[in-house]
This record gives sequence, structure tokens and C-alpha cells, in this order.
Amino acid sequence: MKSTFSILWLTSRPSSGSKAVIALPAVAFALVTALLLIVLAGGLSFFTNPAQDDEFGTAGAYQMLAALAVSLMVLPILTLGGSAARLSARRRDERLSTLRLLGATAALVSVMTIVESTVIACVGVLAGVVLYVAALPAIALIPFQGQALGLDKLWLPANVLVIAAAALILLAAVSAAVGLRQVVLSPLGVRTRQTAPTVHWLRLALGGVAAVGLYAVMSTAMSSPSLAIVVVMVCGGFAGGLAVLNLMGPFVLKWLAGIGLRRAQTPVKLLAARTVLESPKAAWRQVSSLSMTSFIAVIAGTGLALISAAGESSNPAEMYLTGDMRTGVLITVVASFLLVAASAGVNQAAAVLDRRELYVSLDRLGMPRSVMDAARKRAVMSPVRLVTVGSAALAVILLFPLTGAALFFAPLSLVVIAGVLACGIGLVRLGLAASTPVLGKVLAQ
Amino acid sequence: MNTTILSARSLSKRYGDGIALNNVDLDIAAGESVAIMGASGSGKTTLLHTLAGITSPDAGSVNYAGTEVSALNETQRSKLRREAFGFVFQAGLLIPELTAIENVALALMLNGVPRRDAEAQSAGWLAHLGLAGMEARRIGELSGGQAQRVAIVRAQVTGARIVFADEPTGALDSHTSANVMSALLAATAGRGNTLVLVTHDPTVAARCSRTLYMHDGVISLAPAAHPDATPPPVAHPVSTQDGSTFMQNQNWAGQP
Ligand SMILES: Nc1ncnc2c1ncn2[C@@H]1O[C@H](COP(=O)(O)OP(=O)(O)O)[C@@H](O)[C@H]1O
Ligand SMILES: [Mg+2]
Repeated sequence: MKSTFSILWLTSRPSSGSKAVIALPAVAFALVTALLLIVLAGGLSFFTNPAQDDEFGTAGAYQMLAALAVSLMVLPILTLGGSAARLSARRRDERLSTLRLLGATAALVSVMTIVESTVIACVGVLAGVVLYVAALPAIALIPFQGQALGLDKLWLPANVLVIAAAALILLAAVSAAVGLRQVVLSPLGVRTRQTAPTVHWLRLALGGVAAVGLYAVMSTAMSSPSLAIVVVMVCGGFAGGLAVLNLMGPFVLKWLAGIGLRRAQTPVKLLAARTVLESPKAAWRQVSSLSMTSFIAVIAGTGLALISAAGESSNPAEMYLTGDMRTGVLITVVASFLLVAASAGVNQAAAVLDRRELYVSLDRLGMPRSVMDAARKRAVMSPVRLVTVGSAALAVILLFPLTGAALFFAPLSLVVIAGVLACGIGLVRLGLAASTPVLGKVLAQ
Repeated sequence: MNTTILSARSLSKRYGDGIALNNVDLDIAAGESVAIMGASGSGKTTLLHTLAGITSPDAGSVNYAGTEVSALNETQRSKLRREAFGFVFQAGLLIPELTAIENVALALMLNGVPRRDAEAQSAGWLAHLGLAGMEARRIGELSGGQAQRVAIVRAQVTGARIVFADEPTGALDSHTSANVMSALLAATAGRGNTLVLVTHDPTVAARCSRTLYMHDGVISLAPAAHPDATPPPVAHPVSTQDGSTFMQNQNWAGQP
């Protein structure tokens, strides 16, 4: 037993190349925890302190919007948590060789790695709770229903806090275990498949039918006199649109990467196109939250434009609701940006480590590092651009009467949308840049 | 053919307390095929990497065709490896997402050859090494021996003057190993280029024109055949049209 612990101690000290493998998941978990707690706190505040109700059902609309925002955020947050845990599980491979020499079994190494991933997650979760507490005073200033939210409404009950933290730590342990099982390295140092996976064209057909149906329902509902119903329909359209995007996304990425492959004239373009084609679903998963961001941005731009064009409402509660929707949407967009950037960094760091041996061999063959780095980034950034523009276009079409009006009455909305999307793309670039040192360290070994 | 293309002087390399290279001198002539044998950990890979400018020696110098390799910076050495050298590793280390022909064409494209020309040249080479019809296969769809032949084509398609191979047949059965060795010799020494190969297999070494032995970072020659350090007469491989090569090796004197 003593020797087991000494082995654990020996190999838990990170080598210089693996600091990122510990730091990135810890930072990601801190971010995940803070965002989750803030989103939960904000969402719950509408239930613990409901708005005064009126004949338009305003309180209900607030609660519905809050619930929608929370449910939209939770999945990407948990997905990021999962990738972070899987990244820390990569440390197993680095240890295996050393530990085998010391006489440890593969099972012991796996258990140690899961324990370590969980410990890293715990540290991140604790830091995230601190971050949440630190961010509260700023969040409390955000105005809803004509007044600042207030600190007292944003303190999560202790039991909710503990349950959320425990759930995240459990998620880390499970994801690490799953990650260990998934990353079965071949002698080539990469997960090799016999044949490229296929994405069925039926996705496109189904997605098209769903989009048309959605559009029909939306356009009849838009003429409803009640703002609450319009809000519900916008949200429904939003959720439905996302479902359509997720159905069609992988196929469209595959199709466009195929065109890119045939046209590729440089090693960077060839490698990037093949990377996307290797797994269009994985490429989509990595950028799908950006489709949500893009979608929100278009709706926000449209909403802002119409509010400014229509002038003040006579009903004060309804007036607040429209302004508060704008606030809520902006918060959701900012949080989505952060999530996308963080997951791009974490996923790319993991991808580089997965392919360590291949990158080293390419370096030996004389492939410039700039080519490897550019190919890796392009494989993420070209779907990002595609998804951003494509999702925005789909949102414009689905909300067509509204977006058309917005375009006519307030072209400023276009500037807002473009600015928001450019920010999103810039943030993903930053997230990718954070993974470049990992490639440098892999090659320096 | 006897002009020295690669020469190493007083190469030394340590890793911590271990000595991987201990004052190694070596001259390799153009057109030679040199086998390096020796126990695991004796420094063979380190020697190969140092000769190829992958690893920098602690002391000593490597000269390739008049260029002082150790004096080049990282970018220049990368360019040298890309343009003048070829590499074959034990496990092909081909890019799994790419097809066979794309893996080969990539090497040419990195040297600025347009994609269409690169693929045309690659197809010719693949066919020459018996891989016609497999151009569009992904690496996972090839057998170990086929993948190794793709790696050989990749190493030589750019016209590399020296190919470095580190246990290229180490993961293959003896029959496949013989085929791959034939392909490797035909693609390199068979065309007047140079092959530097690390192997554990005496039958593989026997097909090279010269065999060196490493022991604890020191190079020694086969005792009986090479009493002095000058390169012995080289037996040139005879290459036939279909890519197989017949080698007579008078120099190989026995197993270590
Ligand atoms: N990157 C490295 N870090 C530390 N030690 C190394 C490294 N590469 C090689 N060595 C050591 O140098 C010696 C020679 O290794 P190597 O050249 O790989 O031998 P061979 O290829 O003959 O098996 C061995 O003792 C090995 O452990
Ligand atoms: Mg070796």
C-alpha cells in the first residue's frame, strides 16, 4: 500500500509538458462552476421573487424565459465540464510507461487517473464557487423589472450549492472514467478508424422538412395580439431552430468540407478538410454552441431593433419585460461566448495530446510547426465561420417577418449582430490560441 | 559513388547520467546502404536523429554535403529534413485521416509542388511499389506492410538524397519484412540515393552494403570484415523494373 502511494506521489507531479493538462481542466471547471451557479441563481430568483402578475401573464413569462435560459445554458456547461475531465484523463497515457517500469498495473493507473481528474475538478469547483461569490456584487447590479436584481436574491440556498458542486464533481469522475475507456491508443498514437464514418443525407431532408413546418407555425403565431404568446413562440422557434440546426449541421459540415478537400491546394487546407471529414459530428459538437450564440444574436438584434422602432409600451410591466429580455439575451450571449472559447481551448489541447506521436513524427519529417498549427486551427475555425453565418441566416429566415421589419426600421441592428458575431469568432480564436503552447511542448520533448 | 555525403565528427549526447552517444565518428558515402545494429538503448535512434538534424548533439558536428547541420537553426533544419531527407519509422506514422496518395502528395506539397502534380507523381510511385489501386484507401484500410510501403514512398517521393529508417520492419513478419526491405532498397540505394537503417534483424542488415554495431553509445565495425575505419567497397544493389532488389553482401560477416 505504501508503495502504491509513493507511485501515486511520484507520478502526480506534472512534467513540464503536462502542466496545461492540469491547468486547462481546472480553469475550465472553475468557469463551468461559476457560470452554472450564476445561471441557477439568476434563474431561481424569478421563482423565489416572482414579478407582480397582471392580465398579460408577465410573471409567468419571466419564469418561462428564466427556465429556458437556464436549460439552454446547462447543457453546454455540462458538456464543457465533461471535456475538461476527459482532458485530465489524458494524463494516464503519459504515466503508463513510467508506471509499468515501476510494476504498477494498468488498473491501478486508471484508478489513479480518475482520482486525479476528480481532485483537479474539486479544485476547479472550489475556485468556481469563489468566482461565483466574487461575481455576485456585479451581477446584483443588473437591472430587472426596473430595479437592480440585488444581492439578497442571488444567494443560492446552501443545499442547492452543495448539490450543484457535488453533481459537477460526479460528472468529472464519470467523464474521466468514460474518457479512459474511449481513448484506446493504437501504436500510431491516434484513434484510428478503418473507414471514415458516414453522415446520412437523410439528416438534411429531415432538417428541411422540420424547418418548413417550424416556419409555418411561427408565422401564424406571430400575428397573436398577446406579447406573452409571441414571447413563447419566439422561444419555441428558438428551441425548434436549434433542433433543426443540430440535425442538419453535421451533414452540411461534411458536404462543405468535401468541397474544400477537392479544392485544397495547400497542405493546411488539405489537412483541415480531412480533419473535419474524419468526424463531422465531432466537428459539429465543438462548434454547435456557437450556433446557439449566433441564433441568439440575430434574435437579440431583431428584438432591440423592433423595441427601439416601436417606441414605449403603455403597460409598464410589458415595458420592463421587453427591456429585460434584451438584458437576458445579452447575458446568455456573453456566457455562450465564454463557453465556446473555453471548450475550443480544452478540446484542442486534448486533441493535440491525443496525437502527440503523430505531431512529433510530422515535425521530424520537416513539416513546419506553423503548418500543423494552422491546419489544426483551420479545422476548427472554418466550421466556426460556417456555423456562425449559417445559423444567423437560418434565424433570419425563421423569423422573417420580424427580421425584415427590423432591417427596414433599424439597420443599426445589423451592426449589433455583426459586432456580436465578430466577438464570438475572436473569442474562439483566443481559446484556440491557448492550446498552441501545448503543441509547442509536445514537439519540444 | 564514393564521395562522402554525410559525416559525423566526435558526436556526443547525454541524457541525464546516461550516455547515448560517446564520441562517434562516422562517414557515409553517397549511394551506400548502412545498417546500424545493437542492443536496445545502445544509442541507435539517438545517432539516427542526430545525423538527421532532429536532435542536437551536446558536442561534435554533422556535415551533410558541405552543410554544417549542427550550425543550422530549427527552421533551417526543418527545411533540410523536408527537402533532402526522408524518414521511415517503425510504425509508419502516416496521417490516419488522409488517404495513401494524400499522405505521399503532402510531402511534395510541403515543398511547393501543386496538388495535381503531387498526386500524379505519388500515384506513379505507389504503383511502382505495388500499391496500384490502393491510392484512395485510408491508412487504416492498409495492412502493416502496405502502410510501410506508403511510408517508403513518402520518404522518397521528394527525391530525398538520404533516407533514415528506424526499425522499419520491426513490426512486420519475416515474409512481409523481406518485401518491405526490397522496396526500401529499390527506392533508395537502387536509385543512387543513400539509406541509413536501424534494425534488429540480421537478415535485414545483411541486405545493406555495410553494417555497423552500436554498444553503449560507441560505434564498432563488424570485427572480421572491417579492420579499419575506412568505408569498405560498397556492394551496389541491383534494382529490377518491378521494384524488387537483389543484394549480394560480401561485407556482412556475422551476427554480433
Ligand atoms: N528523449 C530522451 N530522454 C531521456 N533519455 C533518452 C531519450 N532518448 C534516448 N534516451 C536514452 O538514451 C539511450 C539511447 O537511446 P536510443 O538512442 O533510443 O537507443 P536505441 O534506439 O538503440 O534503443 C537510452 O539509454 C535511452 O534511455
Ligand atoms: Mg531506437
